[in-house]
Amino acid sequence: MSAAPPLPQLRTRGRWPPPPGPRAAIVGSRRPSPYGEAVAEQLGSELAAAGVVIVSGLALGVDAAAHRGALHGGGTTVAVMGTGVDVVYPPSHAGLADEIVAGGGALVSQFPDGALPRRHNFPARNYTMAAISDVVVVVEAAQGSGALITAEAAVELGKDVLAVPGSIFSPLSVGTHGLISDGAGLVQNARDVLAALRVEREVLDDPLAPPASAGFELARAGDGLVLHLSETMALSASELARKVQLPVAEVVGRLTSLELQGAVRRHGSGYLRALRRGKTRA
Amino acid sequence: MEGRLIEVQAHAANGDVKFFLIGLATTSMKEAKDRVRAAIVNSGLHFPRRRITVNLAPPEVRKSGASLDLAIAIVVLLASAGKAPPPRSAFLGELALDGTVRHVDGVLVAARWLRRRGYRTLFVPSADADEAALVEGLEVVPCAHLGSVVDHVLGREPIPAAPPARPQPDPLQAIEHDLCEVHGQEEAKRALEIAAAGGHHVLMSGPPGAGKTMLARCLPGILPPLTLDDALEVAQVRSLLGELPARGPLDWARPFRAPHHGVSMAGLVGGGSGVALPGEISRASQGVLFLDEMAEFNSSALQALRQPLESGRVTITRSGGSVVYPARFMLVAATNPCPCGWAGDSRRACRCTPAIVDAYQRKLSGPLVDRIDIKVTVRRVAPSVLSGEPQGEASAQVRDRVIAARGRQLQRQGCLNALLKPARLRREAELEPPARRALERWAEQQGLSARGFHRAWRVARTAADLEGVDAVGEHHVLEALGYRLQDVAA
Repeated sequence: MSAAPPLPQLRTRGRWPPPPGPRAAIVGSRRPSPYGEAVAEQLGSELAAAGVVIVSGLALGVDAAAHRGALHGGGTTVAVMGTGVDVVYPPSHAGLADEIVAGGGALVSQFPDGALPRRHNFPARNYTMAAISDVVVVVEAAQGSGALITAEAAVELGKDVLAVPGSIFSPLSVGTHGLISDGAGLVQNARDVLAALRVEREVLDDPLAPPASAGFELARAGDGLVLHLSETMALSASELARKVQLPVAEVVGRLTSLELQGAVRRHGSGYLRALRRGKTRA
Repeated sequence: MEGRLIEVQAHAANGDVKFFLIGLATTSMKEAKDRVRAAIVNSGLHFPRRRITVNLAPPEVRKSGASLDLAIAIVVLLASAGKAPPPRSAFLGELALDGTVRHVDGVLVAARWLRRRGYRTLFVPSADADEAALVEGLEVVPCAHLGSVVDHVLGREPIPAAPPARPQPDPLQAIEHDLCEVHGQEEAKRALEIAAAGGHHVLMSGPPGAGKTMLARCLPGILPPLTLDDALEVAQVRSLLGELPARGPLDWARPFRAPHHGVSMAGLVGGGSGVALPGEISRASQGVLFLDEMAEFNSSALQALRQPLESGRVTITRSGGSVVYPARFMLVAATNPCPCGWAGDSRRACRCTPAIVDAYQRKLSGPLVDRIDIKVTVRRVAPSVLSGEPQGEASAQVRDRVIAARGRQLQRQGCLNALLKPARLRREAELEPPARRALERWAEQQGLSARGFHRAWRVARTAADLEGVDAVGEHHVLEALGYRLQDVAA
């Protein structure tokens, strides 16, 4: 193994360094499937609740889900940026960046203030993510994904790489399954990550169990429509209306109402059951 | 649509045998001299061997084309005979060298306009007589040949006037594309019903082959039948473009225009040299303008749609002057969610990079899309639904509800809901307290813009009108909020 290059000087916003404790990077596709997004969010939440600092890249998709999960879990999260710390990319994540800082986490960057997103910044950023983390967890990565650069850097730096399996039909599983067959740790739940981090405390009952509040409570609250939705396979309003034999106008309205309650969310042309209630989205 | 009156005067003087044509006639107009002379001679008439001056007034208007041929020939012959032209009459027609009176474009526009100006008799080419006869209260003299027109004017042998058409709206207008032929797509069909009822523009997003075009083609069939005035307006645009059939010129079907995304700005909004001709948006007036693959259209052409969308008219200025054409169309835009078409689909992976999807969707944002009240996603329909019998309602039933809902709007506020500005919306579409709370809560949670807020409000008003109730309830607002797109990249 070659000697690791020194960690670049970091510009920071928020609390840096974060509170002492293990750090896990959660990285993956910028356009994950609903499954990948759900996994990233849940892992982020469970690990953060167990005291792990969640490191990610503030990008769309898996990164944002991991940050949001960590915030939801009441933990600390660090965004390693490919731009200056004062330039949020993508701009739609400005709110998320503020929440990260407000939640006691930090935005860090090796690039000077005002640096704009440049293609060649991101591999270096990916390397830094690995460098400041103890393990790297890859959630959905297609072939050639930037997340694989982070994994490679972690190997180079002698850190553990773990990967979350997916469907063998999905192009987003090619990268992660490749990592697993090359010897990366298999992640089936947050406990697998905690084990890699050698966190001895047993803090979780069943880390990746579906949240207790998603289904039945809402059914009691009045709209059983949500029970016909899945968390990973989006249904369109038309498909749902056909399934429950109701007029589509009513179904569209009730879905909006469920969105307001945070029980349902849009995904592309369809609707998914949201993982948690009462959670607003960026 | 306006006409322009050209007065043709002729003076026959003693002197050299000459033929002058004056009054800002363009080159194409100057050729009229030779056509008129040949037509007169070949009709067996006598071309005066005198010094003839024909003046076209007013002199500041550029005149071109051949539609004044007949008028010039008649005044020349009347001047040499020392007779006055028939009172309150106008002549339209091109002459062939043998004296045959040939078709000219725009007869219907001229006929309606002349009628409003108090003209009583219009001489038109025989081919265009049916078109002119659509105008009530106008005596239409069909002209086949210069010789017979002269006989008529000089009172030797009158030409029988064309029988007035007295067009009647056709309530049994066949529906060409019926919603009941569309499998599944309940959400999009409902969105179209609301759009038709409130006059809202629609954007459909979905992968190739999902049926967006088919759905759009169904929209004219659920709109109320054209009134006589509207049908005449549609025919006027076609008349200017020379596209009216000679027999049965009035079409009661609402127009459906689907220009290709390569269409030029002039083709879309109107243009051309001299006096601009109507473009696709005017051909679609009173009907539907369907822009498939909207992101592929030239963005300046799309931006040029903004003014017509606001005003229902388009003003085009060219060297020959300014013209105003109607452009009261319903816009139906369709798009893929990304260049490959599969972004956001649960079952199939999209091959576009996020940056490409982002750029594609940015083309779809902005001032034009901001004016589209209803946005709906369309998915490919599962084979099991496709193979079954379509179970939807027939367009005729949907149209009945649309007519009723439009009636409510016109009675209440004199216009369709899509045209309600915020101030009138507050007055005409009061929200019940739970409806207001739902809308405000949504705006707060989702960071809805003021425009988005009013879009949902308008659509909710239409949903209530379709239900036949005065108050806009919570379920109307919630449904209206459902007709929006989610950014795939966000």
